[in-house]
Amino acid sequence: MTNTDGNQSLKILALIKFVPDPNQLKVNSNGRPDLGAAPFRISTFDENAIEAGLQLCSAHGGGVYGVSVVHGKAPPRDVLLRAMAMGLEKLYLIVDQDHLLNEPYRLAAALASASRFICSEEKISEWDLLICGEASADQYNAQVGPRLATALDIPVIAYATRIEIRDSTIVADRALEDRSETLQASLPCVVTVGMEINQARIPTVLQVMGAGRKPIREVLLADLPGLDVESFNEGPSLSTLDVLAPVRARKNIIVEGNDIAAKAAELLAKLGADGEVKF
Amino acid sequence: MDATGILIFSEDQDLVLELLTVALSLRGDANDPIFVAAIGEAPQAMAETSLAHGADEILVVKTSAEIESDAGQMAAILHEVVEKVHPATILVGATRLGADTVARLAQKLKAPCASDCMTLKRIADGEIEITRRVYGGRFVALQVLEGSPRIASIPPNRFAKANPVQAPKASIKEVPITSSPPRVRILGAAQRVRSAVDVTKAEVIVAAGRGVKKREDLALLNGLADTLGGVLAGSRPLTGDVDWLPVDSRIGLSGQTVKPNLYVACGISGQIEHIVGMKDSRTVVAINSDAKAPIHAEADYSVVGDLYEFVPAFMEACARARQS
Ligand SMILES: Cc1cc2nc3c(=O)[nH]c(=O)nc-3n(C[C@H](O)[C@H](O)[C@H](O)COP(=O)(O)OP(=O)(O)OC[C@H]3O[C@@H](n4cnc5c(N)ncnc54)[C@H](O)[C@@H]3O)c2cc1C
Ligand SMILES: Nc1ncnc2c1ncn2[C@@H]1O[C@H](COP(=O)(O)O)[C@@H](O)[C@H]1O
Repeated sequence: MTNTDGNQSLKILALIKFVPDPNQLKVNSNGRPDLGAAPFRISTFDENAIEAGLQLCSAHGGGVYGVSVVHGKAPPRDVLLRAMAMGLEKLYLIVDQDHLLNEPYRLAAALASASRFICSEEKISEWDLLICGEASADQYNAQVGPRLATALDIPVIAYATRIEIRDSTIVADRALEDRSETLQASLPCVVTVGMEINQARIPTVLQVMGAGRKPIREVLLADLPGLDVESFNEGPSLSTLDVLAPVRARKNIIVEGNDIAAKAAELLAKLGADGEVKF
Repeated sequence: MDATGILIFSEDQDLVLELLTVALSLRGDANDPIFVAAIGEAPQAMAETSLAHGADEILVVKTSAEIESDAGQMAAILHEVVEKVHPATILVGATRLGADTVARLAQKLKAPCASDCMTLKRIADGEIEITRRVYGGRFVALQVLEGSPRIASIPPNRFAKANPVQAPKASIKEVPITSSPPRVRILGAAQRVRSAVDVTKAEVIVAAGRGVKKREDLALLNGLADTLGGVLAGSRPLTGDVDWLPVDSRIGLSGQTVKPNLYVACGISGQIEHIVGMKDSRTVVAINSDAKAPIHAEADYSVVGDLYEFVPAFMEACARARQS
């Protein structure tokens, strides 16, 4: 928790993915996602990751930096500014022009390298925490957090629902299917979070506009030190052949009626006719 | 050494049997061995069950109880097992711990991993074609895992359990492990409430969303579920943010996938991450006061109205129908 200036404050890296909003993504005429038309957003749980970092920093001092690998061209400026307006000190965009980092092994390797690179650029001796979403809203791999910790050889607490810094360690509650646990780990540590940990702040229009002055820095993948991009072509691979929308058809009937009792009777009649309820 | 065979791992016994079904369908021929890693304080039971259901070789690693909730240790142990047997394919159960474990293992093995596969098919020697949900579940991606190891994780309840075999031929091997000290300390643990009935098997599901204002109000929807002979389930906010309903009754991308005959969504907005868990239901009813809520597009019958008014009225209508 002590940076090179000798200050006691937290240095947190939030791992942020910018994604086409799955809830606004349309199916084009041949059943594929119309990615060009979908508005971008901060991957849902990454908003919670930023928020978790900001809350720790407001309690202990320090700052939250952001890093994001972007494939091809950078996401629209308004979404970047939204992330800045939440309260990031600085955002690093790692530009993967050739879509090399299209699966989590490579992505985590690059993010590990980027996290070290940002430390040295910002004169931070090491991160206290690296906070990820439990899973990305578009790919839902639920891999990058634990992989990043493995690549950096540090502990990880996945699925955290509450975190606190206690005597230079992290203490976190996390939720598994059948139990919840309280865990403690030394810093630096990777934490992954979902929507349960907090309510992410929504920056005002004014804050978003004001964020235009905050620093966003683009770094080419090739400029990350110690990353052996060549080795990516060896070893096993995962490639995508197609992405298709499953078809589904619903009746889409709006249950009408003069009053609530009539509507209730109408629904019951319809479900009865379909054989879904029998009395 | 050439990689051969399929290694299976899950800390969940039922899921191991589901993974066995997948492994049996993926292997080239009967000479392609299926390994099961049974890791834990009492791995013997899992070893024997796997043996009785068609595995060829069980690798037993006896450890302490704490390790079962330490994905880091699990990944380290599995890594040692992998170094010993060199499997061409690795299948891991996608529970939360399993997802955490397999991600770390895959990073150590410098390999990709296909998460939460819905289908897996052997298309050629050394190639597996999988499908998985992307963009919140609105789309399905068709992907190919190539080279070795090919790593995939598989969600619970997706595949049937493997059948018992007539003459089990597996061997059970104890694997000595050089385990390193854990990096995460467990300060405490508490069991979470589980559902009395398995929502994935229910024919009728009443699902509660954030339109339900107070925990006590769930009694109303429980009443509706009783009337319809169904069970109560919920959206993520009700099964996570607040523990009003057991997490195993969560429907959606990060919960269960269900296909009941009748699904009644009450006060659920219908975000894609919820829809993906229920879209294969036979008939869907949506009760939501907002006419613009996306759930209406996913419903056969939409009631635009207040669930607090409509549900009692509907139950009354049911009661009258029953009497006549
Ligand atoms: C990666 C990822 C995974 C996720 N996994 C899941 C998952 O597995 N399952 C899941 O459910 N969500 C999941 N989510 C969250 C999902 O995006 C939504 O946030 C969530 O489904 C919303 O729950 P809700 O519909 O209950 O609440 P809201 O979106 O808040 O909707 C409440 C609805 O209730 C209606 N309402 C309010 N009062 C009344 C009333 N009196 N009568 C009738 N209607 C009323 C409102 O009009 C509104 O439409 C996931 C999100 C991400 C990013
Ligand atoms: N391209 C990316 N850039 C930065 N962080 C990412 C990226 N992709 C994934 N992450 C982080 O890893 C988390 C889990 O992603 P995933 O493993 O893809 O489900 C996300 O919520 C982010 O915190």
